[in-house]
Amino acid sequence: MTRFSAAETWKHAVLIVGALIVILPFYVMLSYSLKSPGEIERNEGGFFGSQAMMIDERCVKRGEPDRAAIAAAAERFPGSTDSEIQAALMAELRAACSRRPAVFNYTMAFSEAPLLRYLLNGVIVTASIFFIQVLVALPCAYALAKLRWRGREVVFSMVLFCLLIPVHAIALPLYIMLAKVGLTNTYAALVIPWTISVFGIFLMRQFFLTVPDDLIDAARMDGMNEFAIIWRVMLPTAVPALLAFAIFSVVAHWNDYFWPRIVVTGNRDLFTPPLGLREFKGDADGSFFGPMMATATIIVTPLIVAFLIAQRRFIEGITLTGMK
Amino acid sequence: MPRSFAHIWFVAPAVVLMIVILIAPILVAATLSFTDYSLGNTTADWIGWKNYDRIVSRSSFQKMFVATFTYVAVVVPLAVGLGLGAALLINSLQRFGDFYKTIYFLPVMAALLAMAIVWEFTLHPTVGLVNETLAMSCGTALEAIPFFAQGCARNFPLWLGDKDYAIWTVAFIGVWQGFGFNMVLYLAGLTSVPRELYHAAEMDGARSGWERFRLVTWPMLGPTTVFVVTITCIRSFQVFDTVEAFYPQGGGPSKSVYVMMFAIFEKGIQQNLMGLGSAVTIIFLVFVLFLTLIQRWLIERRVHYA
Amino acid sequence: MATIRLTEIQKSFGSTEVLKGIDLSIEAGEFLTLVGPSGCGKSTLLRIIAGLEAQSAGEVRIGERLVNGVRAAERNLAMVFQSYALYPHLTVAENMLVPLRLRDLAFRERLPLLGPLLARAKYADLRRQVTETAEVLRLDTLLDRKPGQLSGGQRQRAALGRAMVRKPTAFLMDEPLSNLDAALRVHMRAELAELHRSLGTTFIYVTHDQAEALTMSDRMAVMMGGEILQLDRPQIVYDDPADLRVAEFVGSPKINALPGAADAEGRVHCLGIALTRRLAAEPGQPPREVTAGLRPEHFALSPQAGSDTLSGSLIYRENLGADVYLHLDLGTLRLVVRAGVEEARDYSLGARVHAVPRHDKALVFAEDGRRLRFRDETAGQDADTGLAAVARAAKAFVRPANTAQNAPQREAAAGS
Repeated sequence: MTRFSAAETWKHAVLIVGALIVILPFYVMLSYSLKSPGEIERNEGGFFGSQAMMIDERCVKRGEPDRAAIAAAAERFPGSTDSEIQAALMAELRAACSRRPAVFNYTMAFSEAPLLRYLLNGVIVTASIFFIQVLVALPCAYALAKLRWRGREVVFSMVLFCLLIPVHAIALPLYIMLAKVGLTNTYAALVIPWTISVFGIFLMRQFFLTVPDDLIDAARMDGMNEFAIIWRVMLPTAVPALLAFAIFSVVAHWNDYFWPRIVVTGNRDLFTPPLGLREFKGDADGSFFGPMMATATIIVTPLIVAFLIAQRRFIEGITLTGMK
Repeated sequence: MPRSFAHIWFVAPAVVLMIVILIAPILVAATLSFTDYSLGNTTADWIGWKNYDRIVSRSSFQKMFVATFTYVAVVVPLAVGLGLGAALLINSLQRFGDFYKTIYFLPVMAALLAMAIVWEFTLHPTVGLVNETLAMSCGTALEAIPFFAQGCARNFPLWLGDKDYAIWTVAFIGVWQGFGFNMVLYLAGLTSVPRELYHAAEMDGARSGWERFRLVTWPMLGPTTVFVVTITCIRSFQVFDTVEAFYPQGGGPSKSVYVMMFAIFEKGIQQNLMGLGSAVTIIFLVFVLFLTLIQRWLIERRVHYA
Repeated sequence: MATIRLTEIQKSFGSTEVLKGIDLSIEAGEFLTLVGPSGCGKSTLLRIIAGLEAQSAGEVRIGERLVNGVRAAERNLAMVFQSYALYPHLTVAENMLVPLRLRDLAFRERLPLLGPLLARAKYADLRRQVTETAEVLRLDTLLDRKPGQLSGGQRQRAALGRAMVRKPTAFLMDEPLSNLDAALRVHMRAELAELHRSLGTTFIYVTHDQAEALTMSDRMAVMMGGEILQLDRPQIVYDDPADLRVAEFVGSPKINALPGAADAEGRVHCLGIALTRRLAAEPGQPPREVTAGLRPEHFALSPQAGSDTLSGSLIYRENLGADVYLHLDLGTLRLVVRAGVEEARDYSLGARVHAVPRHDKALVFAEDGRRLRFRDETAGQDADTGLAAVARAAKAFVRPANTAQNAPQREAAAGS
């Protein structure tokens, strides 16, 4: 085996260099989300930064003592002049406003913009898209795979044709149509174009073709009607394919930026996570790198963590498109 | 069959949605592309081929084609080549293959917009990690290379802000994001190559890895390659997130990164020139359809391989 | 053409020992079959000869050349795989051209487009070789087809063609017929045997089907559990098995294994019958359990029960046309007896059948499966002892070891 170890070492060397380049932005993102603005600016402090206490300037500005506050505090500092009191108050304030950079970045991410709301929107939108996709695609796939009726070939060729159409490409006419019915800036606008997943239909059909007819006939003998067969027989058998499709769908729509960018304008309550991040970037000045990276980390983390936990399933799901 | 009309209930929603959401918009876009329609107007004038004329003749649209095709021409071969290379390397490893697979797949999972913003920091001309790292080479032997000499003497490239580098940098990020996906598809393809073929090749006298690759691996990966190339092509044509994140004001330095999806977005949504935007949409669709048809044709041709 | 000699070949995957020291010498031009149930190590052994797998210990020699560590591509052997392993993107002609191109052409001449221009004469010669081989195999009309367009039998022949075209030292075949349907398989047996005769090249053939081994080979090696139990001509393996496992594996329907006992004088009693022949005495041998093996054809039917008959009720008639096998229920075991068609007509299901064993054909095995010889068989040998019987029984598998011992002498002879 020693004969091969040299080649093996070379391969590892090449792959490690590649891995470093791939991982670089993730490293930058995570590292910046932990560091203070100064450390980011000067590029120091390694991965974690020094985590020295830093002062939150906005917090200071907000709490700056005015004349009334100085007067009110006069009793606490007997015999001091106003300016001395002010200096003392400022010192207290600065102490109260000092934070660890990591804590600062992550709290800012949530307080500066309604990030929780964005995340919730993301969940609502991806979940409803997937739910409706299955609701529409499953019965259709079943009818295409297991029932005989006139026009089946026509509908199937229509599915094959629609597989060619990338939804992003027809965003403009879709937008016009939605605008005409007054649906822009609604959850509906975010969900509607994705309700039909031709790919989902195709995938499920191929899967159902492999389910033996006997199973369905047995269900019919047991007195189930066609609706019951779909939801009580076909759905359970299709779980593996469905799971893969779910991953495919969720990844695509959680990360989607183009479509939300078009149909949601201005109304922050509807922002999906990528839109929220974009908005953040638009407002940001230099000192906000940290919180922004914290936001990016928060948005990217759920899928990455899910991926690391259930790698095999994810790769299966994502590569499903390769089954065509 | 005496069975019910259940199938109508099963198929109707899907058919209606397909027509309304996928097919009708194409017809709408095709129609609007011959008008000067804007949202808010009650009427629109029929202006014939004028929108298409503009796209062919105006320099900004010429830049659009140049940017789009440059992007596609860079990203497709690199993302496919690196995907194949990584898959072959990982497949031949005795251990730790899964580790690299996981890492290379990470960019596919991460929201591209978020990663674009991170890249923007990383490539920042002064405080970005890339140029900081390059600057460390100053004063070392690396300065013999003209690129480093120039960088150390004046400054290293602005990357995203430099019109000579912008499109390549954006394309690099496209490759970074996409090759892991191709790698996974190739890995799946590799597992389906029968081991006996490699043994047969060995018995037939294929001594080097290259001979085995030429004789067995590459031909057997043919269908995978066709698919990977088409899907990478279609995805690269659709590039938008990175461009919009880097250049919200339009197309990058001297419009060198003015890609088609961004043009559709800018003309249609931002400037409300729906007719013009629709014309770009139609051209875009033609490209995509053309690519997919080529793919289908190539695959049909190989059907009898079995 | 050369002999292929294996010495003490061992192979283990992790802690599982697949081959436990195989000695085997294959003569030039011989058709040798490695036969055994799945998992017996026969395919591994073949792949070690081919060089596709490295042995854990032991030597492989092709001719005089030690090929340990020599890769498959350099051994000049050809292999026919179970799945045929034809390159699906190449036509039959191109498939057959591959080994020629890779072996006979320089790298430069193998370049696409440019290569054929550079070495036009060589290419023409290679193509001629392909056509010649194709004619022998009646493949000439199929040369332009791809494997996907061929039937199973045609693919089989194309795979043979690819192996034949470069005139290798030996052909290695790994269950080449198992993917064919039954009729074609029988037909191909004959074709392969004929091909072997006309080529005169060494064939090493791996199969799990004892019928293939019996019909085609010059010699067959019965393998089980990583060892060769017996290596001899098919007829000898069938008539004179060295081990109960061999006896049970070879022959269809299976040999009847009847429990019995041998006393100190070597008399064998089995289901109430005493065999007329006595076992060669092994001194100090106490009474013990043995197994008597009787093949279905070694019975005669008798109209009534006697002291010498095994009787049972007929539970199944296996009609093969020329013969009928009667399955009898003897209470604790099932006895299979061959009968002529006329004879069998008299018996219907449930009838009592009385079968008389042919004592001269009975084979007796010890508890550990080892063959026990009869006195009359060992008579005339040096000593009438059990040890001699064992030695004789073991002769079949000692033989390769002997040849291996002789090898240096022969080498020396060749050298002088």
